[in-house]
Amino acid sequence: MRTTTYLSQTNLRGLAEDLLTAGTRVVAPAKIGRAPYQQVDYQRIAKVEELAMDGALPSRPLKQFFMPPTEILLRWKQKKSDVEIEEISTQFPATVILGARPCDAAAPGIVDCVMNWDYRDELYFGRRDATTIIGLACGGFDKSCFCTAVGLGPDATAGSDLFLTPVDGGYHVDVLTEKGESLVQAHAARFSDSTGMDAAKRFHADARKKVESNLNPVPPAVRQWLESNFEHTLWESIALRCHGCGACASVCPTCHCFDIVDEARGVDRGERRRNWDTCQTSRFTVHGSGHNPRANQNTRFRQRVTHKFAIYPKKFEKILCSGCGRCARACPGGMDLPELLAEIERLATSAEAPQLRGERS
Amino acid sequence: MKALQELAAKLLTEKTVQIVIGYEEGPRGVRPAFITRAEDADRLVFDSRCVQNLASYLSPRRNHLVPLGKKAIVVKGCDSRAVAGLIRETQVRREDVVLIGVRCGGVVRDPAADTTLTPDTVAARCAECDIREPKLVDHLIGDLPPAPPVNRKRDELIAALDAMSAEERWAFWQAELARCVRCHACREVCPMCFCERCIADKSQPQWIESSAHRQGNLSWQFSRVLHQAGRCADCSECERVCPAKIPLSLLMRKTSLIVRELFNYRVTDDPSVPAPIGAYRLDDKQEFIL
Repeated sequence: MRTTTYLSQTNLRGLAEDLLTAGTRVVAPAKIGRAPYQQVDYQRIAKVEELAMDGALPSRPLKQFFMPPTEILLRWKQKKSDVEIEEISTQFPATVILGARPCDAAAPGIVDCVMNWDYRDELYFGRRDATTIIGLACGGFDKSCFCTAVGLGPDATAGSDLFLTPVDGGYHVDVLTEKGESLVQAHAARFSDSTGMDAAKRFHADARKKVESNLNPVPPAVRQWLESNFEHTLWESIALRCHGCGACASVCPTCHCFDIVDEARGVDRGERRRNWDTCQTSRFTVHGSGHNPRANQNTRFRQRVTHKFAIYPKKFEKILCSGCGRCARACPGGMDLPELLAEIERLATSAEAPQLRGERS
Repeated sequence: MKALQELAAKLLTEKTVQIVIGYEEGPRGVRPAFITRAEDADRLVFDSRCVQNLASYLSPRRNHLVPLGKKAIVVKGCDSRAVAGLIRETQVRREDVVLIGVRCGGVVRDPAADTTLTPDTVAARCAECDIREPKLVDHLIGDLPPAPPVNRKRDELIAALDAMSAEERWAFWQAELARCVRCHACREVCPMCFCERCIADKSQPQWIESSAHRQGNLSWQFSRVLHQAGRCADCSECERVCPAKIPLSLLMRKTSLIVRELFNYRVTDDPSVPAPIGAYRLDDKQEFIL
């Protein structure tokens, strides 16, 4: 299924209005915080006026709408020696994500593999199934963007049900899935005959050119190098500037590790929760004995890169990265994944010694 | 710049230190640099984008840096207060670090931005800086640049929050803290958060819930703010790193103003002056104790 249609600026807002009026949850780029701390982030909006689709890349990805930072897995109640378990509903309200950047729209499709691997995560897929994603072609944001290097692109439609490309006065719309088709049909009056196909193609070509100049496509040799160079000298001092804060994982659209905790709510009841976690902290791997198999930040950073570019691809044939570049933007120490990928590619395709600027004694 | 590079090369060549931690040009603006060979010293830069507080790398929690040997670090005046804090609280011995002070004309908020200092781009902490020429140093580099433009937006927002009713202020912080994902990146980058085991990580008993719900988030932020009172050097690295973009330095700044009022104390670059939390005076105010 791939048909095209057109949505004017006015009708885009009208569509959001229709959805909100119908009680659908609408998530879109919106301004958060007070001056001088304003940012654009994906937020559940209550009013059309909150939409900020043409601005900066939202500071965080869409992950929180499929796997919230904390969520209840079950509740328990203790009655003498019996424990009563209350299951949590896996039904979620219909949600439309409006204006998802291609890197953000594509990411859940990558994470789906692990969430449907040894068991199907009903909470995660409950939200996935209830959500329609309207992607928005990206103009390329800055030099940390590298979506084209991981097989996506500023024009990649992966994960989108509808895909908008800015053209004169509105958006050229690709209808990509049944979910997308039914949304168009339900709001048929908002859409009109397709125009602007050529303008959309030009937009895509310009954006692609911009992003492609940031980083070469990550070749299969990178995965092979990672699989056979666990003890390479590159890793010995790779993360000197890394604070182990895990901001990279928090803002990563594909990092999905979690912790499970039980919290009491009074003496005879409580809830089990799933909370975000990250391999970048020492706590992530420390054993009860005090031994930590990942004893320092260099080994933790190696884990992050290896998981994304070797372990996950080996298991699921997908790189665990959508190239959004948020890790590089968020890092207070200046760790830069595109820079490292370029270095690994160089090591993988030549016999030279590591020369990533710095840090080797 | 040349003087900085030459000094770093000299310190490494003469084996005074094994590593110089300064700033370099990275893929996204200026970033921390770790120089171990004299021939790499020409990578060092210093300008108004050198936002990062390198004192964090002195914290003993950075165990991956310990084996590298004795460190020299580049410090701005504001950073030297954090170094003083680490010395005061016995985390670092003065003789174990070489401090390369740089005279500073203010920094921008974003190290990936350009060097232009305007009231919009300059870091909030530069507004009342009285330490543009650091004193807690072994070497002092550069000429004193002109004072930066003043950005008082942070204090204006604090004044606006002070003027609110308690309910309005509560609503403001509820909305801000609701975004917290409990990643604790604020703690990890903080030079003064050096506890080997943070109270937020203790699970038997669980003093602070690790979940990013209202109770957990409030408990965490309250604890961090109180533990930082009179200790925070106001580098705002917590705020810069926050993936949820919570204006954490508002909390830190407000706390420092309260400490100033109650204890007549400002975080100082003199390690011999005890912080209020580490000192007892008969005339300490105590009306705030419930």
